[in-house]
Amino acid sequence: MTMYLNLAWRNIWRNKRRTLITISSIFFAVLLAIFMRSMQLGSYNHMIKNVVTLNTGYAQIHAAGYWNDQTLENTFEADSTMIRTISQIEHVTQVIPRLESFALAATEELTKGVIVIGVDPEKEDQLTGLKDRRIKGDYLQANDNGVLVVSGLAEYLQVSVGDTLVLIGQGYHAMSAAGKYPIRGIIEFPTPELNRQLVYLTLSEAQWFYSAPNRLTSLALNITDQKYLSEVMHTLRATLDTATYEIMDWSELMPEIVQSIQLDNAGGLIMLWLLYLIIGFGIFNTLVMMIAERMREFGVLVAVGMRQKQLVGVILIESIFLAWIGVTAGMITGIPMLIYMHYHPIHLTGEAAEAVASYGMEPVLPFSVEPGIFFAQAGAVLLLAGLAAIYPVVRLLRLRAVDAMRY
Amino acid sequence: MAVIRTKDLKKTYNSSMVPVHALNGIDLTIEKGEFTALVGPSGSGKTTLLNLIGGLDQPTSGKVWVEETEITQLKGNDLIDFRLKSIGFVFQAYNLIPVLTAQENIEFIMLLQKRPKKERQQRALELLNAVGLKDRAHNRPGQLSGGQQQRVAVARALAAKPKFVLADEPTANLDSTSTANLLDLMAELNQQEKVTFIFSTHDQRVIDRARRVVWLEDGRILSDETKM
Amino acid sequence: MLFLIAWRNIWRSKLRSLVIMFAIALGLWGGLFVIALSQGMVNQRMDALIETSISHLQIHHPQFADNQQVKWVIPKGQALIDSLRRLPEVRAAAGRTVVMGMVSSAAAGSGVQIDGIIPAAERQVSKIYEKITEGAYFDESVKRNPILIGKKLATKLKVNVRSKIILTLQDRHGNITAGAFRVVGIFETISSRFDEHQVYVRAEDLNHLLDTENAIHEIALILHDVEAVDPVATTLRTQLPALKVETWKETAPELDYINEIMNQTSSIFMLIILVALAFGIINTMLMAILERVRELGMLMAVGMNKFRLFSMILLETLFLAATGGIVGTLVSMGTVWLVARTGIDLSVFAEGLRDFGYDTVIYPVLAPEFYLEVGLMVFITAILSALYPAWKALKLHPAEAIRTI
Repeated sequence: MTMYLNLAWRNIWRNKRRTLITISSIFFAVLLAIFMRSMQLGSYNHMIKNVVTLNTGYAQIHAAGYWNDQTLENTFEADSTMIRTISQIEHVTQVIPRLESFALAATEELTKGVIVIGVDPEKEDQLTGLKDRRIKGDYLQANDNGVLVVSGLAEYLQVSVGDTLVLIGQGYHAMSAAGKYPIRGIIEFPTPELNRQLVYLTLSEAQWFYSAPNRLTSLALNITDQKYLSEVMHTLRATLDTATYEIMDWSELMPEIVQSIQLDNAGGLIMLWLLYLIIGFGIFNTLVMMIAERMREFGVLVAVGMRQKQLVGVILIESIFLAWIGVTAGMITGIPMLIYMHYHPIHLTGEAAEAVASYGMEPVLPFSVEPGIFFAQAGAVLLLAGLAAIYPVVRLLRLRAVDAMRY
Repeated sequence: MAVIRTKDLKKTYNSSMVPVHALNGIDLTIEKGEFTALVGPSGSGKTTLLNLIGGLDQPTSGKVWVEETEITQLKGNDLIDFRLKSIGFVFQAYNLIPVLTAQENIEFIMLLQKRPKKERQQRALELLNAVGLKDRAHNRPGQLSGGQQQRVAVARALAAKPKFVLADEPTANLDSTSTANLLDLMAELNQQEKVTFIFSTHDQRVIDRARRVVWLEDGRILSDETKM
Repeated sequence: MLFLIAWRNIWRSKLRSLVIMFAIALGLWGGLFVIALSQGMVNQRMDALIETSISHLQIHHPQFADNQQVKWVIPKGQALIDSLRRLPEVRAAAGRTVVMGMVSSAAAGSGVQIDGIIPAAERQVSKIYEKITEGAYFDESVKRNPILIGKKLATKLKVNVRSKIILTLQDRHGNITAGAFRVVGIFETISSRFDEHQVYVRAEDLNHLLDTENAIHEIALILHDVEAVDPVATTLRTQLPALKVETWKETAPELDYINEIMNQTSSIFMLIILVALAFGIINTMLMAILERVRELGMLMAVGMNKFRLFSMILLETLFLAATGGIVGTLVSMGTVWLVARTGIDLSVFAEGLRDFGYDTVIYPVLAPEFYLEVGLMVFITAILSALYPAWKALKLHPAEAIRTI
């Protein structure tokens, strides 16, 4: 075996320039691929974490049927034993109760449709970091009778801390709901969508406003890491009565996020396939040239007693060497850069930042260092090297010494 | 005992419009220890005959025996293995793997035969010594002259301790000094080691050195004389 | 003669030349097709937005954008519309009464933008009437308070055609007021967000609720030629200094931005493909030179000068690239044309696309300039790739070259 490896290794350096160009092309493709994939996958994780902690949480529990019919009629009684049970499930870090519905927010002159969310101020802060999103005023106290308003809404209604907001809506069992609330603070979300129409109340105040005492629309769950999600979901489904409650994870709550990720991912993969295909043709051509100029030599080798299969082995090793050097060079160059970028993500500025923000994302370019990215590229290139070798292999298997020596 | 026996060997090429009868019924017997030249103008069938004897090509009809083995019956890997163990080859050119040193080229054949490393090294050095290239063991073919390359090829052909060595115009690319040296070497090996040589040539100097000369023309044996 | 030699030379190693040509053709085809798809996606979204909501030009009271209060009307709106219609560049103009409010049914409520329109005039500037999937555009069947709502909103409110829904809004005096409307039609555009947050009523009904008289907050203009948008906007701005005139690019800046990003991404994409191809071309040409060292030496010995030799190698490279390039471009054009006739259905991703306001059936388009641009890029790539091999060839010395085997 050592002899074959030795032979293959020396063979690829018989034509240094050609080998270097072929390796450079692989190097270029691998470097590009790991950067692209790292950015793509990094942005997906970032996106998921972003949207999950902005609002929905990793999973939610509703009254059965709430998701398709989001009305106050589909609320459920807050059951403290149930909440305790859920919070004791492993990996669950927070259980956040909410009561949310639609209302009209009005000042003297202006009105706007808003979503009123009743929250437990402390717990909500733990999931969404609401306290730190304040740009003005104070955060809600435990028994506050004031509201927090998102900045877009405050601008629209031309109100600020200390002003009074009138909320008008429809309560539980079609009771009319109306109330006057002093604005305690203004909060700002990175996404315009959320920034447009949210009003936060304390949970008890919201329950009073909507005439829904002790009722909730949802329990949002925070967990330690996305990778435990399926485990937690499984436990939840086993613990809770699924006829009474519906249990949904973030991908069910926001299928459009999953689909947009899939779409973007598909686009990226198509691009990579195309790139690899082109590089693959380059490897193919190199191999074709390599065997063409060595035909007579192969003929002699088979004549003196080398089997075609052994020749094929040498060519395959050569092909793999080419791919492997390119991949290794790409990884050695790319991985340290990516690790650096992973810990120092690029912050976007200007127009690009605004565009990213309008899609509900923080304007940073995160890089993923998921090992799978690197294995996938290495696998892809080795596969290419294998595919590119098919034709040379077939030719070598059919090689007849007499013909090859006359080549 | 005959090392090689051919019976009514015929080879017809159908590649062009008119079938070409390269061999037209060759009956030839080569005894152990012979030093035989196949001679004839180009197109006479020497190379075809060598290819058939060496198991590199299949005849259209007829048979070839090497000792007891009817090699015209062998196929695929069996044939390759037979060549590996029983026949040594020296070609006009491209004999050696350019990326391996002289010693490694000789070892390579033994590697294919799965000989242990120690034995390989030892025998390769012995053979290099025998062909007078001991000090060139670590040179690659590119660093050797044409004559030296052919001598390494002879050493490689002997590595497997074959039943006979086939050499197809081994001196075609050599100058006269190198030709003489190579012939001296082959003759010496023939006499001292009793290696059977069969070579094709149209070089008068080579013909003069052969002990048996078989003339071919139009795929037939024209004359067959053994010098005493 | 040089052309002939170069052309024949590339066919000396058929497989090798074919592989590289095929790679070029495939790279171009894949690249151009993906670009055409995304361009089609962006264009469709742009057209749809222009057709259903933003028009070519919009005119507002300058303060209307800040908070859409009822009082920010366009003064003498109707007269302005009439005069705008007389402009030769303008195909149609329509006024809208716009107010934010809340819509509710027995099942649910939601915040919406309510556009009060004159159905006949609106038809000229917006194709929303084409998007009705159930019921009908305003007709005479419902005399009092008809309303058009989007499909997503209808689902959310759990209402159907002929259902009654309540609009709650703040009138001219700041009082909360409500009115009952009857759904006459349900529309579905390519944007589910639009379908959830936009409703249409008749201007007269809305004015009645607002206690205003023909309040016009927004004038939408459609021009005969979309290219005329900028000059017309400039003229209108000087004529109407007190009003805010916005082109579609200004109304939806992200659209223009996406277009820009799109073009940049496409160029980078092509560049990457071409760099990958360049490696292949360089390698192929280098081999073509190195295996012909003797022959090139002979050519130089018999008197072919370096310039000619250089030209020959350049020509060979160009032929190689051009053959692949032309085939690739033609195949791309064919594919784009073919797929554009039927469209390509990406409904696997339907929801994701709709959420971003894109159609699910994509009709790829590629501007003719882009083919030219790509052609030029291929040409430059070929020349750059030829430089190194050609330089290698020029360094040959005839005597040495001939000696080399």
